[in-house]
Amino acid sequence: MSRFFATGSDSESEESSSADEITPKATGTTFNKQFEEFTNIIKTIRNAMKIRDMSKCLEEFEQLYRAFLKSKTIMDKEGVPQFYIRLLADLEDYLNQLWEDKEGKKKMNKNNAKALSTLRQKIRKYNKDFETEIASYKENPEQSAEEEEKDDIGSGYTLSLCQDEESESEDDEESEDWGSDSVDSGGESEDNEGAAASLAVVFLKKYVYGDKHPERKKDDRRKRHKKMEQVDEEADEEGEGEEGGWEKVKGGVPLVKEKPKMFAKGTEINNAVVIKKLNEILQARGKKGTDRSAQIELLHALAGISNENNLGEGILVKIKFNIIASLYDYNTNLAAFMKAEMWKKCLECIDELLDILFENSNIFIGENIAEDSENLAISDQPFRVRGCILTLVERMDEEFTKIMQNTDPHSQEYVDNLKDEGRVCGIIDRLLQYLESKGSTEEVCRVYLRRIMHTYYKFDYKAHRRSLGLQGETKSEQDQEESEGEDSAIIMDRLCKFIYAKDRTDRIRTCAILCHIYHHALHSRWYQARDLMLMSHLQDNIQHADPPVQILYNRTMVQLGICAFRQGMIKDAHNALLDIQSSGRAKELLGQGLLMRNMQERNAEQEKIEKRRQVPFHMHINLELLECVYLVSAMLLEIPYMAAHEFDARRRMISKQFHHQLRVGERQPLLGPPESMREHVVAASKAMKMGDWKTCHSFIINEKMNSKVWDLFPETQRVREMLVRKIQEESLRTYLFTYSSVYDSLSMETLSEMFELELPTVHSIISKMIINEELMASLDQPTQTVVMHRTEPTSLQNMTLQLAEKLGGLVENNERVFDLKQGVYGGYFNRDQKGGYQQRQNYQRGGYRNQNQSSY
Amino acid sequence: GLIRFNDLYRLYEFENGKTQLFNSWGVVLKIIKHYQEEGQGSEVVQGVLLGLVVEDRLEITNCFPFPQHTEDDVDFDEVQYQMEMMRSLRHVNIDHLHVGWYQSTYYGSFVSRALLDSQFSYQHAIEESVVLIYDPIKTAQGSLCLKAYRLTPKLMEICKEKDFSPETLKKACVGYEHMLEEVPIVIKNSHLINVLLLDLQEKSMVADKHELLNLSSSNHLEKSLQLLMDRVDGMSQEIVKYNSYCRNLSKQQQQKQQYLQRRQQENTQRQSRGEPPLPEEDINKMFKPPQAPPRMDTLLIAGQVNNYCQNIKAFTSQNLGKLFMAEALQGHSS
Repeated sequence: MSRFFATGSDSESEESSSADEITPKATGTTFNKQFEEFTNIIKTIRNAMKIRDMSKCLEEFEQLYRAFLKSKTIMDKEGVPQFYIRLLADLEDYLNQLWEDKEGKKKMNKNNAKALSTLRQKIRKYNKDFETEIASYKENPEQSAEEEEKDDIGSGYTLSLCQDEESESEDDEESEDWGSDSVDSGGESEDNEGAAASLAVVFLKKYVYGDKHPERKKDDRRKRHKKMEQVDEEADEEGEGEEGGWEKVKGGVPLVKEKPKMFAKGTEINNAVVIKKLNEILQARGKKGTDRSAQIELLHALAGISNENNLGEGILVKIKFNIIASLYDYNTNLAAFMKAEMWKKCLECIDELLDILFENSNIFIGENIAEDSENLAISDQPFRVRGCILTLVERMDEEFTKIMQNTDPHSQEYVDNLKDEGRVCGIIDRLLQYLESKGSTEEVCRVYLRRIMHTYYKFDYKAHRRSLGLQGETKSEQDQEESEGEDSAIIMDRLCKFIYAKDRTDRIRTCAILCHIYHHALHSRWYQARDLMLMSHLQDNIQHADPPVQILYNRTMVQLGICAFRQGMIKDAHNALLDIQSSGRAKELLGQGLLMRNMQERNAEQEKIEKRRQVPFHMHINLELLECVYLVSAMLLEIPYMAAHEFDARRRMISKQFHHQLRVGERQPLLGPPESMREHVVAASKAMKMGDWKTCHSFIINEKMNSKVWDLFPETQRVREMLVRKIQEESLRTYLFTYSSVYDSLSMETLSEMFELELPTVHSIISKMIINEELMASLDQPTQTVVMHRTEPTSLQNMTLQLAEKLGGLVENNERVFDLKQGVYGGYFNRDQKGGYQQRQNYQRGGYRNQNQSSY
Repeated sequence: GLIRFNDLYRLYEFENGKTQLFNSWGVVLKIIKHYQEEGQGSEVVQGVLLGLVVEDRLEITNCFPFPQHTEDDVDFDEVQYQMEMMRSLRHVNIDHLHVGWYQSTYYGSFVSRALLDSQFSYQHAIEESVVLIYDPIKTAQGSLCLKAYRLTPKLMEICKEKDFSPETLKKACVGYEHMLEEVPIVIKNSHLINVLLLDLQEKSMVADKHELLNLSSSNHLEKSLQLLMDRVDGMSQEIVKYNSYCRNLSKQQQQKQQYLQRRQQENTQRQSRGEPPLPEEDINKMFKPPQAPPRMDTLLIAGQVNNYCQNIKAFTSQNLGKLFMAEALQGHSS
């Protein structure tokens, strides 16, 4: 038993060991148990130390203290065990070190920090009891440890006769111990070099163990392959058959050297060997416990070897394919995104791969090439390699989107990541060239779509500038370079038309159409965009599409609406935006963020899916701009309509959203000057209601609104001019609707002055109103005046009409009750009556419809 | 609208044929004052009437208002307040017997469930209670409008039963006309005040009475129409509800009939086979009659609509009279 409680002194242990042999079995087991408890607790403390979990440390320390008290009797007899002292010393050192580390302390969470301070105090107090032991340990830590170990082993051997089983199990435990330690220390050497120094025990133990396995003295770099090593170790120890042996080839043997080496010295490196090797590596792919990063490195090394030995491009391409594939494999989780270095590597690899493919036109690649019909060797025959470059590039594109989704859009990091977009586009462009010459139409369609997806949302400034005639002054070389390329419109047109003609999957075509429309709309080609939208009939069947396509559709509709707005087609703009805006979930529908209120409704899984659908930030459509455009359109439509139908009971709202904003504005107890975009629109609406176009104008177009909204348009000046004009016109209409009852006649000249519109415009607006029977008036040509007919019913008359209508309904309802009582369903009298009502209603409705139509 | 002194004179002339209710001027003025101080627009003020029963008439000699209480002070106890108030009045030797309550009205809208309920509880507790309805708008137009109502005994019965199903109402023959009975009012003054009023009448000029000739704006009419429309809508809804109930009922009756027939056929077959017939009791369990909509609301709405109509009619006939008068005058002068 002394083996477990051995102190530094040999003689004592010798004695105790002999004494132990006569100790009854029963006590032996209790000692054993206590020992186990001790080691377990110490192990957990050490682990907690490594992960800096102070609260855990504290908890375990208290347990340890209790356990120590329990076995006090033995302690008294045997003396305090060395490992206990060691732990105490280490723990104190460690805590002091942590305590000094001000930075680290700050980072700690509250619980940990608290635990740290209490633990530090406790151990200080506690350690006073063991001052001498600790001091002696600190003086010569290794020696004492060695002694113990030696002692351990020695006594273990001496006792092996009587306690064979026990020692064996102990041994096992030790080895396991070692395993976990080495794993940890490996991890540490990666992340926490400093902390490792204090953990003398770990190294000491290993050192001792290392005697048995000399090759274990390895540099840190190798420890990264710890899992493999473990596997290897198992194989070593168990000496298994083929399986283990196979594993050894890849991980174990080369590990003896600094760098992983593939082949035994002197092996002739040829195609067959490399392929065999490659297959070996690949077989580990996807298996549990395979170190993915190591695999990537191995593949890289293999590529290097094949390159050195000039094994031909075929094999190189094959290896490259696999490198890229394993790069993608690196993240097992679908939601996780690639690390920056991985991503860089991936881009490089694909670039290199494309280089090779371009240089060697005799390489055939494809998914359809079977594994055994591959031709990788240099021969007269062209190379045939299985693999699909298109899939790889598509995957790369998706990874790029994922990276962008997972980067904070307001950080410099995002900008840096976004710079890679150029490379992604470059790769897609090169692939496009390659496939245009070699690929099937299907593949071409797919790569075209990728290209389109990277083009459609970008505003073509250079074409815009050219169209404005400003192209002459390109400032930098880059600009010049840019302006040499094709206009994006032409590219879009070419690519999309190819897809329309050749594509056979509906989805690619749908996406292409939507992108095309988006692109048209973005560049203010309203009629092309609208025609394409109408011809494609997408509005009818988009609800059957998958969510990403629907998001694209929503984006397109919104862009279409904004385009219509820029062109001054207010009604079209309103109609296009109505669906998105009326839901109040524009953000969600455009894939630009998740709504909070839905958080409870969806579970985590769904949320993950939805997160994956999000559009990266640089493609976002400005939501404020969208809302503003919608609200201003609604204002321009709704205010005159409201004025025209002031007394109409059946008045329908054109835009609920707009009315909502108006109501919110009304509810304000104190009306300050408008701050937000919405308040501006509401204030402008109020001014417009009074026909005060100047105030309305000043609310809609001012510096705040310019910076918030209008300056975001490329042709901002033109849009503003259009808006002013619309405001003038609609204000005039509103004015006429609201105040026509006050006038007998109105001079058109006065109106034209009031609204700063030309006389012919005023004339045309009023004529239109008269024709549409919105305004009961006639034009007097010689005097240029509008003469009111005053035939509009007064509000009282309107009200009475409404009442009459309602009473009609009431009577009808009442008669139905009567019918039921009589048991006559639609008797002669009744039917006649109903017909009468219906006729009247129809007549009236007709009238309303006329009015409705005319008001648009 | 303000009530000037000379209005008081006019109020003096106001008298109803049959006397049942005596009201003292103090009470009227107090009610008017209460409204003018606290009531605004469609807000309603309420208060308690005090008085005593003398032979076959009820004399209202005093009143006090319910304080407006906001939603903030929830723990305000109205009953407590009333008791306190009455006790205090009793201490100063004023009539303190509870004989009803008063309420102001907005364009004659007072026939509501709330009024019905509270009047019922009043009349249930104190048999002679009345509710005085004061219309400030009409009064402002120049004629005091103060009316006293009681629930009819029939309605009292129904309210006591709390059964507002169509059948009960039909059986009781309660129409909207029979819900409230108006009690004639007589307003009496002390002789001293009478003398003062007569004195004032001497001094008042015709010019002060031009309000009488004022053609009220269509605003009044519009408001009334709006309210009327609202109630008509309500009525329509009620009717639709009733209608669907009737339809459901008849549909169910049909189903029930069919089921019964089938059961009978089966039973006859069974009898011919010598088996015992199936019971017919479960039929009521299977066909639960649909919940009948309470008809009280409909009645109240009808009463209210009637009220509005009366108001509008009175208003327009007055205005028409004035118009004719003006025409005649114009014809005369030209």
